[in-house]
Amino acid sequence: MTTMHVEEFRIAQFGTRLGTRLEGERARAELESLIESLPEEGQVRLLLDGLEVLSTSFADELVGKTYQRVVDGGFGDRTMVLDAPALELAEGVDVKLAQRKLAMLCLHDGRWRLIGFHTPALAETLALILEKRHTTARELADELGLQMSASVNRVARLADLRLVRRRKIGMKGPQDIYALDSILGG
Amino acid sequence: MVHGPARLTVETIDDILERVLVQQEASVDLRDVRSIDPCALLLLNLLVLEARERRIAVRFDWPQRADVRAWMRGMGFFEQVGSSIASPTNAAGGTLQPIAEIDDEAGIGRVVDGFHRRLAERYPLTESSRRTLIAILIELFQNIPHHSNATGAVDDPHGLAAMQDDDGAITVAIADKGIGLCGSLGLRPGYEGISDAGALDAILRDGISRFADAGRGGELQRIVGVVRSWDGEFVLRSGSARLYFDERGGDIVDVPAFPGVQLAIRIPLRHFDVGPVDP
Repeated sequence: MTTMHVEEFRIAQFGTRLGTRLEGERARAELESLIESLPEEGQVRLLLDGLEVLSTSFADELVGKTYQRVVDGGFGDRTMVLDAPALELAEGVDVKLAQRKLAMLCLHDGRWRLIGFHTPALAETLALILEKRHTTARELADELGLQMSASVNRVARLADLRLVRRRKIGMKGPQDIYALDSILGG
Repeated sequence: MVHGPARLTVETIDDILERVLVQQEASVDLRDVRSIDPCALLLLNLLVLEARERRIAVRFDWPQRADVRAWMRGMGFFEQVGSSIASPTNAAGGTLQPIAEIDDEAGIGRVVDGFHRRLAERYPLTESSRRTLIAILIELFQNIPHHSNATGAVDDPHGLAAMQDDDGAITVAIADKGIGLCGSLGLRPGYEGISDAGALDAILRDGISRFADAGRGGELQRIVGVVRSWDGEFVLRSGSARLYFDERGGDIVDVPAFPGVQLAIRIPLRHFDVGPVDP
């Protein structure tokens, strides 16, 4: 079990009513610097506390574009999650992530949920991985009552979206065997 | 000479726009105008500037009613058009938010703060209404620097915004005389040569933007959704097309051509909790 390096990034440092794309672009430069300064598998937790307004444009410029880069592998294995005291504040992020076909973990009221573009099946699988912290596609298939191929597909999608960590630990016949870890740390 | 209607609105101003810019009438008589809506006021403002830039010699006789003149003065209209007309009163005519210029993206936060302050002084906004309305203002205002002169074809798109309340609603109006929706969307491959009505439809119905980036676009579409959910009214005029809807329905119609984009949203006061704050 490893201890994950998590850094917080408080968006309200740029103002309480945000804002235009230009403002979002300036904030993004600081967020990207922070992510790049993290060790591999480090994580940034974006905090929405202290904000009154977060426009969809600012949300896309700061969160959407940065998260797109995270998902595309531009920051290695580093990840990003959201912490929203009011779900209303995360609406702009939700809308823009959905538009970009991305999904992100958001902490609200002590509970993690998926925002952005996702399906109930994906959310169900992710919830189980978060609960177990460490698992395999086989274990998920058994617990969710899925065909192995369906479990593998869901896991692949979650890994592509940087919502879980997936490590190849062997092969069984023609099929790779993966160990899965929650990105929320051990 | 063009005679203005008793109620100058974003619809009734069309005749004036056409007769000044196309038929080059020498005089516009607005003396009998009894009321002006905020979007029509911004259009009138831009018409004066456009006629001046096209070197069309036109004389405007402003409304005679004291309350209308006082309101126009309070909105900063005469200052905007460079007219030194005397007002019979120093009263601001119940103005909520005078005309503000939107020049660049960097200044939008300041303009939004000003609108918010004016609104909060008069209405006890709910947290939810405030968040939604401010987010809408940010998106609408930044469309001017993002789109109104995307081709660099105009010297100055003259971005303007204003806000006014009446007995039943608050109206926010935003206007410019830039390249219009079709000029902006036409920059995107596949949309070259799109008509004004086609651009309006693509932007509002499909959420298309001139930018290919997946995260861009959809803001006006979402604003339309919010206005619909509030049983409000929405009007967007661009080039020779105008879309209007209220809680009963709406449509896109052909209108006399005018440069740029002019937009207004009218939100019922019930979404701001109650009536005006007692002074």
